[in-house]
Amino acid sequence: MTSRGRCWKFGDNIPTDQIVRSDRAFASIPEMAKHVLENLNPAFARDVQPGDILVAGKHFGQSSGRAIAPKALKATGIAAVVVEYAARLFYRNCFEIGLPLLECPGITDGVSDGDTLTVDMTAGLVRNETTGREFRARPIDPFLMGMLAVGGLIPMASRLAGEG
Amino acid sequence: MNLVEKILARASGRLKVSPGEVVVANVDTLLLHDLSGYITSRVFENEVKLPMRYPERVAMVFDHHFSPPNEERANILEENRAFARRHGIHLFDCGSGNIHHVGVRNGFVRPGTIVVGSDSHTPVHGALGCFAVGLGNNSHAAMVMPFGKAWFRVPETIQIKLSGRHKPVVTPRDAALWLTGQIGEGGAVYKALQFTGPYIKELEIWDRWLFPLITIDVGGKCGYVEPDEKTIAFVRTMTEEPFDLVTSDPDSEYEAVWEYDISELEPQVAASPTLGNVKPVGAFAGAPVQWAELGGHGGGRLEDIRQAAQILRGRKIAPGVKFNIVPSSRPVFAEACREGLVEILHEAGCSWFPPCSGSNQAINMGAMSKTEAMVSTHARNFPGRNGSPDAMMYLGSAYTVAASALKGCIADPREFWNKGGTV
Repeated sequence: MTSRGRCWKFGDNIPTDQIVRSDRAFASIPEMAKHVLENLNPAFARDVQPGDILVAGKHFGQSSGRAIAPKALKATGIAAVVVEYAARLFYRNCFEIGLPLLECPGITDGVSDGDTLTVDMTAGLVRNETTGREFRARPIDPFLMGMLAVGGLIPMASRLAGEG
Repeated sequence: MNLVEKILARASGRLKVSPGEVVVANVDTLLLHDLSGYITSRVFENEVKLPMRYPERVAMVFDHHFSPPNEERANILEENRAFARRHGIHLFDCGSGNIHHVGVRNGFVRPGTIVVGSDSHTPVHGALGCFAVGLGNNSHAAMVMPFGKAWFRVPETIQIKLSGRHKPVVTPRDAALWLTGQIGEGGAVYKALQFTGPYIKELEIWDRWLFPLITIDVGGKCGYVEPDEKTIAFVRTMTEEPFDLVTSDPDSEYEAVWEYDISELEPQVAASPTLGNVKPVGAFAGAPVQWAELGGHGGGRLEDIRQAAQILRGRKIAPGVKFNIVPSSRPVFAEACREGLVEILHEAGCSWFPPCSGSNQAINMGAMSKTEAMVSTHARNFPGRNGSPDAMMYLGSAYTVAASALKGCIADPREFWNKGGTV
């Protein structure tokens, strides 16, 4: 699971309310995607290309646990989210809906907006192609890697419920 | 094992669980509100397409709308009602109160059980000795609704010991806000937080409630208070359903123990952009406010309404200030009527709203222009949750909210101590 794309860089402590504004919570996911992160960088939703990579700082996706925030991000076509660390519910939701997420300490100091990044989910590596620097991500639980591999929680739910 | 590990072990059919393990456990209660419930219902019916396994364990509470403001929202609430009828789940319609208060008051929250919900403040139910966590829409739609189960990673637990007695006019809400700043946003990511110590043990249940409430804002997975005789007595007034008290073993292991003394604490205020931006009230004193509100997940309790009435009895709020009182549930409003608080606060210039979540995210009230500011007992102050991203939200105790409404700016409630003689 390797992808290469432009880095879109955001800051620390971004709540889900800033990813999808709560007054848009009843819209369709593609409609939300057109306005995602609008208050922080209006150019992102307009110019993001499939395969691009979103980088953010500490406690990304805090606040509400609505999965519409990662769903709207996934609908923009981004290949992965790379953060210093994510809020718990956002982390869980990303794997449940099939959006690759890596927690990569030091990433915000190591990349600039517009750099080209390569993300290798399986190896847990992020490489800044613009500067040549490499960053190692925190390991992901094999259970969650398995969930990502089948495309999220829904395809594996019946088997999982049977095991419990 | 501690309380969280014991509940997870029992609900997953294991003798023992340890931090880091992933388990699939039986869920006792799923709480949804009109917004998260709508999103979850679409995933359940359009993508999962399985029957609802235990409809009696699922409750949907319309708390973001006390009344729909337009046709689009009216349609969404109608779809939610039809969803509830189709699947036989419990529905609490507009005017019932805040999701978590309604859940507790209708017996959905019992010690020793697993409570889940899409609302990120679901961990508040740990105040009753539950394992209570927020999950995403897909967890609910793909596992809880069709199978009555959910997957959990067993969290590491941090013990948070609070001691001391707070000074007059300083409240448990001030202590909880201050603690958020001490732990820091993201200070406890993925952790379970046990709130304990002599300070917590002395508190009544609705004041203990304010501590697990902050769990999500320090990044935690769940927070809890060990259940005791107060918990049993409280839950007995809410439900006749049986429950098994689960408590931590004396030899439970904790990843860390953090100790705090609240004896010297002053009234606290958390200003936008985040809950972690909390300081003694003096740091913000004099900042103008046009709106004041008691309401939300942690506010609108009888305790808050009583505190506001203590300050506002026989007084008038400042010209230009609008003060919304939003009871957390219908029983709270009924008791406020019986105690004469409705009239006291009405005469002071406050406006009573139907029981709901109030200005939480400005779904049905509480939007502000970019130049406006609100002081409230809400649980959140992120930019853009109340209209303009430039609008300001100050969080404080009901005393601080009432004192600020009187002066038209953030004010220290201790100014009214031994002066008006009413606090």
